Amino acid sequence: MQLRNPWHDFDWVLFGAILTLSAISVVEIYSATLYGQEHSAAFRQLIWIGIGTVLLFIVAAMDYHIISEQIPWLYLAGIGVLLYTLALGRMVSGSRSWIVIGPMRFQPSEFVKIIVVIAIARYLSELREVRYLSLEQIIKASLICGIPIVLVALQPDLGTTITFLPILGVGLLIRGMKPIMLIVLVLIFLLALPLSWPFLAQHQRDRITNFVNPEQDLKGSGYQVNQSKIAIGSGGALGKGVFKGSQNKLGFLPTRHTDFILSVVGEELGFAGVAVTLGLLGFILFRAVYTAQSARDELGLFMVMGVFGIYFFHVVENVGMVIGFMPMTGIPLPFMSYGGSSIMAAFAAMGLVISVRRRRYVN
Amino acid sequence: MRLRDDIELLRSRIGLMGYLLVAILGVLVFGFWQLQVVQSSHYSELAEKNRIKEIRLVAPRGKIYDRNHKVLADNRPSYNLILIRENSPHTIDETIAMLVNGIGLSREDLLQKINRKGKDPSYQPIVLKEDVGVGDLAYVMAHAYEMPEVSVEYQPRRLYREGRLAAHALGYIAEVTEAQLLDSPNLKPRDQVGKTGLELIYDSILRGVDGSRHVVVNNSGREIETLPDEIPWVAGNDLYTTLDFDLQKAAEDALGDRVGAVVALDPRTGEILVLVSKPAFDPNLFASGISGLDYASLRDNPDTPFQNRAIQSMQPPGSIFKVFEAAAALESEQITPLDRVYCPGSATYYGTRLGCWRPAGHGSVDLYGAIVDSCDVYFYNVGNLLGIDRISQFAKMAGFGRKTGVDLPNEIAGLIPSEEYSRRVKKMAWKPIETIMVAIGQGQIGVTPIQAAYAMGGLATGGRLKQPRLVEPGQLRKLGFESPAVQTDQYQIHESTVDTVTKAMWGVVNDGGTGDSAKVVGFDVAGKTGTAQVVNKSSYKKGSDTEDHAWFLGFAPYRNPEIVVAVIIEHGGHGGIVSAPVARAVLDAYYKKKTGNFNAGTAEKVARLMTPVP
Repeated sequence: MQLRNPWHDFDWVLFGAILTLSAISVVEIYSATLYGQEHSAAFRQLIWIGIGTVLLFIVAAMDYHIISEQIPWLYLAGIGVLLYTLALGRMVSGSRSWIVIGPMRFQPSEFVKIIVVIAIARYLSELREVRYLSLEQIIKASLICGIPIVLVALQPDLGTTITFLPILGVGLLIRGMKPIMLIVLVLIFLLALPLSWPFLAQHQRDRITNFVNPEQDLKGSGYQVNQSKIAIGSGGALGKGVFKGSQNKLGFLPTRHTDFILSVVGEELGFAGVAVTLGLLGFILFRAVYTAQSARDELGLFMVMGVFGIYFFHVVENVGMVIGFMPMTGIPLPFMSYGGSSIMAAFAAMGLVISVRRRRYVN
Repeated sequence: MRLRDDIELLRSRIGLMGYLLVAILGVLVFGFWQLQVVQSSHYSELAEKNRIKEIRLVAPRGKIYDRNHKVLADNRPSYNLILIRENSPHTIDETIAMLVNGIGLSREDLLQKINRKGKDPSYQPIVLKEDVGVGDLAYVMAHAYEMPEVSVEYQPRRLYREGRLAAHALGYIAEVTEAQLLDSPNLKPRDQVGKTGLELIYDSILRGVDGSRHVVVNNSGREIETLPDEIPWVAGNDLYTTLDFDLQKAAEDALGDRVGAVVALDPRTGEILVLVSKPAFDPNLFASGISGLDYASLRDNPDTPFQNRAIQSMQPPGSIFKVFEAAAALESEQITPLDRVYCPGSATYYGTRLGCWRPAGHGSVDLYGAIVDSCDVYFYNVGNLLGIDRISQFAKMAGFGRKTGVDLPNEIAGLIPSEEYSRRVKKMAWKPIETIMVAIGQGQIGVTPIQAAYAMGGLATGGRLKQPRLVEPGQLRKLGFESPAVQTDQYQIHESTVDTVTKAMWGVVNDGGTGDSAKVVGFDVAGKTGTAQVVNKSSYKKGSDTEDHAWFLGFAPYRNPEIVVAVIIEHGGHGGIVSAPVARAVLDAYYKKKTGNFNAGTAEKVARLMTPVP
């Protein structure tokens, strides 16, 4: 369904929320890297946002049905790139999750997530005659999601691996399962958690034991979350002021321009800054829920809810982590954390949401 | 319409997701509210006194002593200036700009030091200047507030109390290299480890275990509190060597500035009493971080100060080899001690006329006379009777041509030729004339000073070869380290052979022979001089390089020997004139200590008197 005017019914409110978050992000990344090694991170983040914006408009202008028709080769291409990454990717801090093209590095898994969203959406939306998913259908859907998961887990990048799961989870929940099936799946998932313990690396186990008992090792693995809480707590209601966070400035905060960017916001802009940030993130997610509900067909609905699943999980995990509510994983905060691949993928995903919204009326 | 019904159901489920989102966001906002509004003052306090910093407490390295518990390698306190980039409120350039005025280092020097470690994590201290003086300390202390990133670190540092003395035996220590870090899991960055000598061989015994202390540093980087969880260091184990400082000093003083080596050992146990190699380096230079210039001048010195000549330099043994030649001939019954050879001053073998060192000739000599006067013609004759393979077989059995197994790194094996060696390595047939050369210790034969002492000890004690050692293994086992026992090799030799040869060596020193300047009154010294011709004389240009290598190999007392001494002075001239007095200095000191007449001053005086004026 081609819209005559590419600007017709564009979701300027959602786009405005994204840009506002991006602005906070650039300022706080600049603050976080002021005395560190990566002085140019804020500038580079601006470039990623620029490229992301272009991507967002391109995707929003495209009919999501046409994108969905490309899924067989897109999906295969995604698998191919993940295989290439596994074989020839750049090793960064223990996992092979980057590929290098010219002067730039990409994390293909961020983009593959979007492809999986579309693939799952297409599969689920084509099951029209069923009230509840059969076991066979659940397994098929799990395979669509499972192949990339295995490839990412092999890198091994466990944080990113986990972020694939909500795509499947949200899709299955909305598509509908017999209550007994749902209970069995939840039980399997819960049982799988302790079974995965022997496969975890020591630092990952530390993160989990430390999450259960945060005070056990404040100098070792609990250090980062403890410092993050100190930064946020000491920020108070209104913050210490931009560029004035001592935790940030003195380098007490770990990976502060990437995973712990919200700690910098909390320290320098206080509860007010956090409330605005979370409000904007919440608004974006609500906009996705609303868009999904008003989608003209199931394909659009599942696509938007897949995107919702990814970023809902990102927000919950990252925000929960910085205040010690969730165990530590290297999952970035959407639109806030420094990182080219995650920023561009998030903007493209939002383009998908807008594309669905623009075509919500059946004409 | 079925499709519509279906999608309505899905939409209602999406609504549930919306509620879930509200609930979780609510919990998260509540979390922030708790931290930032309810408990804000608590966390502000934590931020104030934040930052737990670990300070490494460097363990002192074990000391190295001589056999009489005199300290050779000690430790002294010292301080380093360090930079910790992690907290720095300044850029590297700003820090350097502030430092350049205060401490005597150039911008380039500082930048180079920082860049070399630039890839290390930023909490890892970078040493800007090692072993600083009071002035630098005062400067940094006075500016601690402006430059919290620069601080002072305590480090016990190696002090070799006697400087160059026994430098090659002791070795030196320096900062661990990246390659060593990868190899050994026990090492940490910035550890000081042994690089050569005993410091290297016994590194794991000497090295202690570092401790740690945690201090709390506030926002401006100042230490405000020490945590009670201090882990004290564990000092390294002390090492008692078999070296005898007095003898070592006597040998070094006697050798002076000449290029050469001295080894003295106890043939009964293999304990090394003296190990000198000259020229030497000052190991203290490495302890405080040797400068590039100092290192280059040592490395490029044509006299190779880093080479441990006692175990790493092989030279033709010259006439000291005649002793073993004689023993080989007696053992294989090619001669008897009474056989006489007429020496007219030269002899012709295989068409080549070979001279004796005394052109006038020695006349008719028996074995005793041939050794005492070092008659070449006699030994040409013996060599010709024996043939190269019998010579090399005995030499190898006696301890030449293989490593002695001394507890020092990179010992070389020396070279004992044979027909088979010539075919295999040199790809040419062995020429009989070469045998005649080897018979007087010249030509295709190479011996290290430690091999000479080792083999001499074996021969003089009736074929019992004791592996030379600087550290007695029992001591290490007591400390809980594995250490194989001293290896003893016994080869078959007739007592009469030993008697004949050692008696003749006694004559060399005490019966008007070539080694009479090694005589110590009251101590029956036996010995043999050697003067090894420097081959390819034409390739040397400068004066002293064309001189022969001077050997002396002796032991005392000649019955039941207690000490063997081997001396070589490169390009020194005649063994009897230059090397025998050095051996005498060692033997004299030993005898005086034994009889209780030793005092350090006398040894020095004796050494001075015995050293010929150049």
